[in-house]
Amino acid sequence: MKPRPLHAALAVIILVPSQPASLRAEEPVQLSPEHTAFFESKIRPVLAEQCYSCHSAEAEAKGKLKAGLFVDSPQGLLAGGETGPAFVTGKPEESLLIKLIRHQVKDAEMPPKGKLPDSVIADFAKWIELGAPDPRPALATSAKTKRVIDVAAGKDWWAFKPLTLPAVPAVANPTWGSTPVDAFILAKLETAGLTPNPLASREKLLRRVTFDLTGLAPTSEERTAFLKDESPDAYAKLIDRLLGSTAYGERWGRHWLDVVRFAESAGYEFDNFRPGAYHYRDWVIKALNDDMPYDAFVSMQVAGDQLKPNSYEGASAAGFLVAGPYPGQITAKTEEKIRYDQLDDMVSTIGSGLLGLTMACVRCHDHKFDPLLQRDYYGIAAALANTVHASSMIEIDPAETQRKLEAYNQALAPLLEAVKKFETEELPKRFEDWRRDQLPHLKSDTPWQTFGIQSATAQHAALTSDRNGLVLYAGNKTNDDTYTIRVVTHQKGVRAFRLDALSDPSLPSKGPGLSDNGNFVLGDVKITAKPVDANLKIEPVPLKLKASKASFGQSGYEFEKSVDADPGTGWGVAPEMGKDHVAVFAIDGAGVGFEGGTEFEIQLRFSGFFGLGRFRLAFSNGGDEARLGDAQDMQNLRELQVLTEASASPAGLLRWFSHFDEQMQKLSAAVTDHGKSKPQPTLTEVYTTTNGGQDVFFLRRGEVDRKEGKASPNFVQVLMRSGDAEKKWVPPPDAAQPAVHPRTSLANWITDADAGAGPLLARVMVNRLWRQHFGQGLVSSSNDFGSQGERPTHPELLDWLASEFVKGGWRLKPLHRLILLSSVYKQSGEINAAAAGRDPDNHLWARRPARRLEAEAIRDALLQLGGKLDAKIYGPSESNNESGRRSVYLRVKRSELVPFMTMFDAPEPNQSVGDRGNTTVPTQALAVMNSAFVQDLAAEFLKRIMATEPAGNEAVISKAYELALGRLPEPQEIQRMSAFIDQQRQLLGEKPDARNQALHAFCHALLCLNEFIYID
Amino acid sequence: MFHHPASHQSLLPSRRQFLQRTGLGFGSLALASILQKQAGAAQAQLNPMALRPPGFAPRAKSVIWLFMTGAPSQVDTWDYKPELQKRHGEPLPGSDAKTGFFTTSGKILKSPFDWKQYGESGTWVSSIFPHLSQHVDKMAFIHSMFLKANNHAPASMELMCGVTQPGHPSAGAWLTYGLGTENQNLPAFVVMHERRPRGDDQIWSAGFLPKSYQALTLDARRNGVIDNLVRPGIQSPSQQRATLDLIKEMNQQHAQNRTPQTDLAARINSFELAFRMQTAAPEALDLNQETDATKQLYGLDNKKCEVFARQCLTARRLVERGVRFVQIFAGKNADGDGAVDDVPWDGHNNIKTNHEACGAATDQPAAALLADLAARGLLDETLVIWGGEFGRTSDSQGSEGRDHNPNGFTIWMAGGGVKGGTHYGATDEFGYKAVENRVHVNDLHATMLHLLGIDHETLTFPHNGRDYRLTDLGGHVIPEILA
Repeated sequence: MKPRPLHAALAVIILVPSQPASLRAEEPVQLSPEHTAFFESKIRPVLAEQCYSCHSAEAEAKGKLKAGLFVDSPQGLLAGGETGPAFVTGKPEESLLIKLIRHQVKDAEMPPKGKLPDSVIADFAKWIELGAPDPRPALATSAKTKRVIDVAAGKDWWAFKPLTLPAVPAVANPTWGSTPVDAFILAKLETAGLTPNPLASREKLLRRVTFDLTGLAPTSEERTAFLKDESPDAYAKLIDRLLGSTAYGERWGRHWLDVVRFAESAGYEFDNFRPGAYHYRDWVIKALNDDMPYDAFVSMQVAGDQLKPNSYEGASAAGFLVAGPYPGQITAKTEEKIRYDQLDDMVSTIGSGLLGLTMACVRCHDHKFDPLLQRDYYGIAAALANTVHASSMIEIDPAETQRKLEAYNQALAPLLEAVKKFETEELPKRFEDWRRDQLPHLKSDTPWQTFGIQSATAQHAALTSDRNGLVLYAGNKTNDDTYTIRVVTHQKGVRAFRLDALSDPSLPSKGPGLSDNGNFVLGDVKITAKPVDANLKIEPVPLKLKASKASFGQSGYEFEKSVDADPGTGWGVAPEMGKDHVAVFAIDGAGVGFEGGTEFEIQLRFSGFFGLGRFRLAFSNGGDEARLGDAQDMQNLRELQVLTEASASPAGLLRWFSHFDEQMQKLSAAVTDHGKSKPQPTLTEVYTTTNGGQDVFFLRRGEVDRKEGKASPNFVQVLMRSGDAEKKWVPPPDAAQPAVHPRTSLANWITDADAGAGPLLARVMVNRLWRQHFGQGLVSSSNDFGSQGERPTHPELLDWLASEFVKGGWRLKPLHRLILLSSVYKQSGEINAAAAGRDPDNHLWARRPARRLEAEAIRDALLQLGGKLDAKIYGPSESNNESGRRSVYLRVKRSELVPFMTMFDAPEPNQSVGDRGNTTVPTQALAVMNSAFVQDLAAEFLKRIMATEPAGNEAVISKAYELALGRLPEPQEIQRMSAFIDQQRQLLGEKPDARNQALHAFCHALLCLNEFIYID
Repeated sequence: MFHHPASHQSLLPSRRQFLQRTGLGFGSLALASILQKQAGAAQAQLNPMALRPPGFAPRAKSVIWLFMTGAPSQVDTWDYKPELQKRHGEPLPGSDAKTGFFTTSGKILKSPFDWKQYGESGTWVSSIFPHLSQHVDKMAFIHSMFLKANNHAPASMELMCGVTQPGHPSAGAWLTYGLGTENQNLPAFVVMHERRPRGDDQIWSAGFLPKSYQALTLDARRNGVIDNLVRPGIQSPSQQRATLDLIKEMNQQHAQNRTPQTDLAARINSFELAFRMQTAAPEALDLNQETDATKQLYGLDNKKCEVFARQCLTARRLVERGVRFVQIFAGKNADGDGAVDDVPWDGHNNIKTNHEACGAATDQPAAALLADLAARGLLDETLVIWGGEFGRTSDSQGSEGRDHNPNGFTIWMAGGGVKGGTHYGATDEFGYKAVENRVHVNDLHATMLHLLGIDHETLTFPHNGRDYRLTDLGGHVIPEILA
């Protein structure tokens, strides 16, 4: 393996021999011969045989020392390892060593290969009880050393320093380059005695910058227009046009999706699809196209749900947090581990993706190379504690709904006004007329009056009621449900209740029950009465009921069983389902009724079966023996008659009467009908985060069953200007101020360019831009700015760009311009002999070599050439890989990545990726040679060429070169290609479409050329 | 140190390294001369799959990993526990409710199978393996396997990649990264499956390694075809050859005008490799070239095991032709046994019907593979590994099933450098937990790499700020099972 250079960061790590308080401060224990013999016979052989291979000076020398524990000396044992002292002298039960060899500590069973015999374990316990007599000499090498990170010194690491604006260097060459970027590059080249390449041709430059900014080739028209435009700012205008196209966001959004390990499924067990995950992708594309300042871009991703609560934008942006894999099956055993893995996924992605810090290394211990503390890791994890995966229903455009609602309310107002007007101006008079002229002639001989229903609820089922006293089942039926109906009447002397169980075509087997066969079993009926007037201070009175009469009783489920003491037995109606049934419960005792009205709570408990689907409740204050009669609306009339006689309140009377007035009903219906058109918000499923989760604890060695203290929100110490600076972002609780969500604090710290992580955030992003434009960053390890990463080739340039970036309001498009207008970018890729010798890795940028397109751009370029590229932007992902949608919209399912993409190095979306691989394997060649996808697109490509009606093969060749390679062919190329087409025709023989097939072979061959996917 | 050119940060060797290794002067960088020097390091630059020497003399060249998907029960296959038979229905001492995935009864479930001893080693084998039991003296059993995850996907990742989370390279990817492959005309790392196993390609991922080390999958439901292998129908061989000649010529011209870029040269090379693969791969996969006797030996004529039989025979043909790592996901469950077809050995409801069905679907072909490799002298250089992602509980789930158990299970290895007839490690008297010489997957991987001639601590790749290995921070070679 590549030897790791010992960078300067090591200087901040000091190896300090630790000094446990108990370590032989007093005189060594004088060993008796028995003790020595015991150690030599029982303890030492076991230590030597079972433990030394991982816990001794020798193991350390071989690089095999585990857990920092040495057992080859008395000091080593007493000092202990990473998890503390090996034993407590004299107390075997409290000693870690004993717990480990008894296999009482999960995943730290010692020795790992198998438990020691019980007798040996007993020997060790006894030895510790004896005071752990150990005659071995002290070993200097095995004294425990502990790494201490000096955070203050760590701030000297180049990447952690505050941003400076370095002076633009002076250069000798007056002709090459015109921008500050050029000056920084040229200065180094001149120091090395090198001359950069001249500028690339405008043709090449057009193709280069178009692919770079949009991931697409320039069209024929764009090419003509640009080559024709001889104005001095033609190139600058070109850049502006490209930065202004939506394709820019699609191209650079895809780069960002690598960084944030974006996928649309959970991975792990079932790789469940996340239908609402694409909103994050769309948000990224849109934010880039809008040139959202990068600090806001980052803040929204870390805390969008807090910064813009309940908004589509905020929820979509926060998709960043939950884009990682997450198991679909969770058990009690794995729950904690999964939770900390999820936190780790977020902390690592924030570390690598935003700050170029390898935070994943700090889960188990302080960073071995960088000044990153475990405390930093758990501080960020604690800030992320309340961040759980969620699919939330969010309104995309609430303003639009609000607008519609206002229009609705406007139309509603006159309708309500009409009702009100009629109620006050017409209804009382009509009531008086009716009472005078018609009431005396109306007859209703039923003793039953319906109730006004106050509420109808159930433990499980959903119930609704209408104003005629009907109760209807609306969903969620279960066995053993209990319905509770609350009704009110102003009558007194209530003697009986009546239950109409009504059949209906909408019910199973027409009902009236909800069982598949239409039956029900009413196990128990309980009714309590209380006065409506709370001032009466009367407790609810349970009524004693007797089963008076029913239309039918099932054998074994007779009606009486609904009021017996056993709720397990009850009333059923099989086989008489599909019909209406009626039952009367009489009150055993005097009639019931309170002054000012009575509220009855009627509980219907169903047992073993489902409940009723449709029923009505009524009461009678007539004779003792209540008669059965048909249920009908006229029952309301009867109540009205009674009420009128009783001279109840005029308002109540009017309310009842209004049900019978035709005009009133019409006006009310108009209100109800309009209500049906009430605009509802359009809710969209967005995969985002919601509050939840629990406290975060420090984990010893990152293991969930070794929790230590509770962690509180806190950030990376070395990225704070002063020691207790976190108070700036995490204010102490203060009753006067609203609490700041810890993720908002995190976002504020990350983007704080003065006192927080902002300088590093800016450096990392500036470097990503450089990397995507040049193929290699100024820091070539894009995701690691620590000591194990690469050093910047041009630290001053990096800082200058980062300072300009921050100064310019964190906008990316001006930063693109700064880079793209430089001669460093515009120079040619041809061989530069002097530079090849002195700078073979091209770190000094004396040329800009050709680069292979990424998987997405290759696929998009093929589609574009075949005229099949779909211009649609945004929206749910496309699962058909051969569709015409741009590759950024292809579905990213973790277990079913698109082969064409992965074969061209599209990364697995499980961890942040800053630098994609660039591999070349035969399966890629097979795909472009043989796949129907490429072959078909070659045919479409040919059709496009033929549509221009080219005169002869030479014209076909020229047009094909122009479209596929962005240039016209050289004469010898025309010659060679013509010969190829002729050769193919010959091989095809006398086939009728031989010319077409030969031309297809030529078009296909162009798509296989290196020049097609390597952009100069 | 194990040296690998592709481990450089850029995933391609730096130009300087390339030039140093090839010894080319700067004036002579014409592409033609690069192509002439295809031996040694230059070859590695052009082709990430180029053969690389192992660290020390290997005992095996290839691996065939028979992955029994869904997790066979150790106490119903290779780990005989008479205590279970004796104490059936009694409470299981030390039963731990957190072991399984669902809820277990805590009561001992005896193995429903007959057990007998076989071979000179006197190895106990249950009656579901009438064929494999004839080969116990070729096998080295590890009875004390354990891992952390107790559900299929994370455990499968742990077994193949060493960690329970996705994103890490699997053993096959590490091996091809470490050693390259002997036959450039065939893929180096092949995975075969019928229904895709739970966890899918996360199990055989190339993770953070370069994509050149990803597996090629052969799906039995699609008759194991390799995508894009077949020349389009409208093109004759001579037309295709002429096209490739044109592409090569134009690409060479293109490269000459540019600064030397190994990736340009590599891509020119890749078309020639692809062209040869078009012929070599169908030949390797063509089972019609086998005799009837061989087909019968594997069970191609046996409905119960024909799919796995084809896969095993294909595996033999592949390693015979130098393929480095072949993995087959195997098993076929019965109705109502609690398993789903992406985890066929997962006998939650009925271990008897499940394991009988899975046994019948895998026994004969696996045994035939051992016999056939041995008869052809290939077993000495091929490491065959058999096992599932964890074991199963010794107490019952329901009355006749068994739940997941990551705390103790059996894996066996045979062939290349393995001491046949040995038994290493042990579970407790109920087969519930590994107690003696416990073996984590890191140890299994270390041993596998050792047999292939690689010190597991030197096979590393820089990622996320540190050097990663297949065995991560652990791993001990198990010398006791080496021949």
